[in-house]
Amino acid sequence: MSTEKIKDARRMVHWPGHMETDYIYTLGIAGEKFFTEMKNSGRIFAAKCKRCGFIYLPPRIYCERCFEKLTEWINVGTKGEVFTYTVAYVDVDSSKLKEPTIYAYIKFDGAHGGLIHKLGEVKHEDVQIGMPVEAVFKPLAERKANINDIKYFKPV
Amino acid sequence: MVGKKRVAVIGAGMTKFRRNLKETGKELSYEASKMALDQAGLELSDIKSVVMGTAPDAFDGVHMKGEYLADGAGAWEKPYSRVFVGGGTGVFAVDAGWWHVASGKFDTCLVVGEEKMSSCYPHPAYAFTTIFDQIYSRPLGVTLIWIFALEMHRYMHVHGITKEEIALVSVKNKRNALDHPCAQLGANITVEDVLNSEVLCWPVQRLDISPTSDGAAALVLASEDVAKKLTDDPVWIDGVGWCIDSTYWTNRDLYYPQYVQCAAQMAYKMAGIKNPPKEIDVAEVYDPFDYKELHHMEGLMLARKGQAAKLTAEGVTQRDGDLPINPSGGLLGVGNPIAAAGTMKCCEIFWQLRGEAGKRQVKGDPRTGLAQAWGDLMQYGSVVVMRS
Ligand SMILES: [Zn+2]
Repeated sequence: MSTEKIKDARRMVHWPGHMETDYIYTLGIAGEKFFTEMKNSGRIFAAKCKRCGFIYLPPRIYCERCFEKLTEWINVGTKGEVFTYTVAYVDVDSSKLKEPTIYAYIKFDGAHGGLIHKLGEVKHEDVQIGMPVEAVFKPLAERKANINDIKYFKPV
Repeated sequence: MVGKKRVAVIGAGMTKFRRNLKETGKELSYEASKMALDQAGLELSDIKSVVMGTAPDAFDGVHMKGEYLADGAGAWEKPYSRVFVGGGTGVFAVDAGWWHVASGKFDTCLVVGEEKMSSCYPHPAYAFTTIFDQIYSRPLGVTLIWIFALEMHRYMHVHGITKEEIALVSVKNKRNALDHPCAQLGANITVEDVLNSEVLCWPVQRLDISPTSDGAAALVLASEDVAKKLTDDPVWIDGVGWCIDSTYWTNRDLYYPQYVQCAAQMAYKMAGIKNPPKEIDVAEVYDPFDYKELHHMEGLMLARKGQAAKLTAEGVTQRDGDLPINPSGGLLGVGNPIAAAGTMKCCEIFWQLRGEAGKRQVKGDPRTGLAQAWGDLMQYGSVVVMRS
């Protein structure tokens, strides 16, 4: 069988194909509540399971652990801490980013879990696991009920 | 015994793993399947069922690629199914093959793992972007590598493990792969080479990661009565396990793979294994990134939490060590055509337990081996325990 180490697939006898399809995704019942609150009032909500006490962030309408329907919403504030982070130097197709971007898993007090987002107003050398951070929202007029209504999290 | 019939592996095969192989996915599946059938001494007509393991359609770029690959996997006019649990697919396909035979429904099952990743142009990393949550993750520009980087960093932080300690895994596996005739990236490298390689998403660097690969691997499974007619050296599947954790990264403790532990416990219980590090003679542990070998050794309870790096530094996991891990060279060395890589690990354990691993053969006379894979959104574990 062939074993050539060809780096560029275009050098092979080939047919160039394309699989793109576009989608309009609904946010879902929990997502719409979460992002509407974020857009309108800059508040971050989690959902609590009455049966087992687990507090879901991001919120859901059901408990994946005991399958209870979740109806209790909890405002968890806009602050959390850096649970872990990375400094990304490459893009989605593995090409070099112009500026490295810091992404972090931000754990919220008062919830089990948190959000993945960017960090801003901080140099990557200065980021530490455990560092307290808070959400910086876009101006009200620019918010669109999606995760990027939060511009980034910054140190507090 | 779990199941109506005891299940044996009686043949294995695999293609070379390479970037940009000319063969289509079907052709790769055929090459691996034919080799496995030849080793088993069977014709296609002897095969009563087929399980195909292959990961996201976007890799091969063929929607519903289970159907596309069927003929190459020998499924013509046969009961056929595709199973798919992301990176965990290659070992889970063997779990699925097991229940085909253990149930008593089929005497034989051909299990095939395939992936052709290099078709995705310019880079298959892009094919991963649509596996993530469309509401919370994709709008941030999520990439596969930075998600791993978050997990690796958390693991390092909790246990105080260094990049140097982790790099030893890459050094070991790429060196082991020098002895594998199908390997893509066998090499003698140093810890410094890993630490000096391109930083992709800190703490993940180029040489911490397995490559883009094309390839296929296959196993022939048979019930005890059929196996005993065909071979004096069947390798028994004595334990199977699989488990999924929350799909939300932020609802998991990233430093420890609980889902791997659950899958392992299921397999160990079935195999009657009480002390895994003592009773497992050789293991193929999923290593798409070097830290994952350590992370998974802990999940498999082959090392205590936070201790896998120490065992690695002491040489315990070398091919001639007391607990050889990834004697094949793993994904870091042999290559990582996703589902095929997991099935390759099962092939390696089969060959090791039969004493057929050639220059890769671990010392002593290994009787019990384990293969493990991990996948979906990094929260899925699949495990097979085999005995000779
Ligand atoms: Zn609950």
